[in-house]
Amino acid sequence: MGKVAVVGAGMTKFVRRAQETGRELAWQAARMALDSAGMTLKDVDAVVIGSAPDAFDGVHMKGEYLADGSGGWRKPTMRNFVGGATGVFAPIQGWYHIASGQFDTVLVVCEEKMSSCHPHPQGAFLTIFDHTTERPLGPNLLWIFAIEMNRYMTVHGITKEEIALVAVKNKRNAMDHPCAQLGEELTVEDVLNSEIMAWPVNRLDVSPASDGAAAVVMCAEHVAKRVTDKPVWVEGVGWHLDTAYWTNRDLYYPRYVEYAARMAYDMAGIKEPRKEINIVEPYDPFDYKELHHLEGLLLCERGEAPRLTADGVTQRDGDLPVCPSGGLLGVGNPIAAAGLMKVCEIFWQLRGEAGKRQVPGTPKRGLAQAWGDLMQVGAVIILGR
Amino acid sequence: MREKLTNPEDVRTWPGTIPVEYVYTAGVAGEAYLRAIKERGCLAASTCPDCNIDYLPPRLYCERCFAKTDEPRDVAARGVVETFTVAHRDLDGRPLEPPVIYAFVRIAGTAGGLIHRLGDVEPGDVHIGLEVEAVFRPPAERVGSILDIEHFKPVG
Repeated sequence: MGKVAVVGAGMTKFVRRAQETGRELAWQAARMALDSAGMTLKDVDAVVIGSAPDAFDGVHMKGEYLADGSGGWRKPTMRNFVGGATGVFAPIQGWYHIASGQFDTVLVVCEEKMSSCHPHPQGAFLTIFDHTTERPLGPNLLWIFAIEMNRYMTVHGITKEEIALVAVKNKRNAMDHPCAQLGEELTVEDVLNSEIMAWPVNRLDVSPASDGAAAVVMCAEHVAKRVTDKPVWVEGVGWHLDTAYWTNRDLYYPRYVEYAARMAYDMAGIKEPRKEINIVEPYDPFDYKELHHLEGLLLCERGEAPRLTADGVTQRDGDLPVCPSGGLLGVGNPIAAAGLMKVCEIFWQLRGEAGKRQVPGTPKRGLAQAWGDLMQVGAVIILGR
Repeated sequence: MREKLTNPEDVRTWPGTIPVEYVYTAGVAGEAYLRAIKERGCLAASTCPDCNIDYLPPRLYCERCFAKTDEPRDVAARGVVETFTVAHRDLDGRPLEPPVIYAFVRIAGTAGGLIHRLGDVEPGDVHIGLEVEAVFRPPAERVGSILDIEHFKPVG
């Protein structure tokens, strides 16, 4: 398989309600990504679009709807959707478009406009559950994930205070992100005292609903060497699916994340992830999910992630910076765009272009991960320079 | 279940809905379009400075080259029927009485156009190439919607 590089990245501001349509947001991010690579639409052979359920934007066949704003006019274009994992799966799709030898340059664009869904996107989440066994109970993601969080806390004896440190860290990191929706200086007490949504989940444990788009430009080795002297290479990719019956699994551990990570580590030749990964952007729609995912990614032992957080290891200047962007908790969570934002962040960090968010030293390798559907899909991408 | 069911009620079912509602924004270019319709009783188009293509409805960007388009300009709501149909059934298959004429109208002086209803004309008198113009609702009744245009009618 051919080598594949990321050579450009762009994103819109993440906001609660954008005046721009989804396709206008997509264009802003895509244009920024192309400009940053010194390329134009003429250089693009194919387009990959990632967007989560049509029900968010309230537009059926959202891939077709977004195509012109994503650069898909008269080009081979496809849209993927694997729930919340979409934003990391989209560049994986870009990778195999190029690694296969079929295309030299691919524009990858992810968009979500969740403000369209009224009064709240939770209404769209209701119907992702089984209509016979669960929907009659009126499930929403807050209490579904509260159930998972409680299991995780109880199995390992983790406190809410330890978990709240993640929200404090990420919202503070987001203060340095020009596109962030919810950057804020908070204390653990602020998180614990915020409104209880579904115990043990309080309002500040959760990321917001957002509108936004993100994009990257990916290309084959011979193109990358021509257009940049700072290519960021795709070293590993992995994705994995567990059953939709979450009833037959133990929710304390995300096995689908581990399997996706193992696939990516194998491809990248990584034997000891804790030593060989320098920065991580795990998916953090809830604060406990950052910890849960660090464990699934084999970056620490099961139940150990809260201690890394308390010890400052995961701070931007720590030994293993985690969510230096500010994550979904701070930057915002336009589902697919949020996942790709994490890939953009690794790209900027590895190029030394992350501005005030730049982690110290010269990180050589970073990992972005997203998770989606019914606690079910894991997608992992490893980038290196 | 192998026997043939003639009555769908023989399979136990229950009704369900997907209960979502939406609020949409018009977007940057869409806002300019709806304001032209509501405030000035005309349409709007935007032009790509590089490709020199007129977009109607206006767009923020050119889909061909990704350039930002010029500011939308007003365009008279007049054009030519490029194709049309006469609908005799509604969304649910019920008879439409009278039938409704839907046309794609290419707007004069642009590369674009819009789909709308035709009125003040009998279906038998419509033909491809017919010149038409928009009939707007009275200014006080316009809300900033494509339905501020009641229909298109033959010119003259």
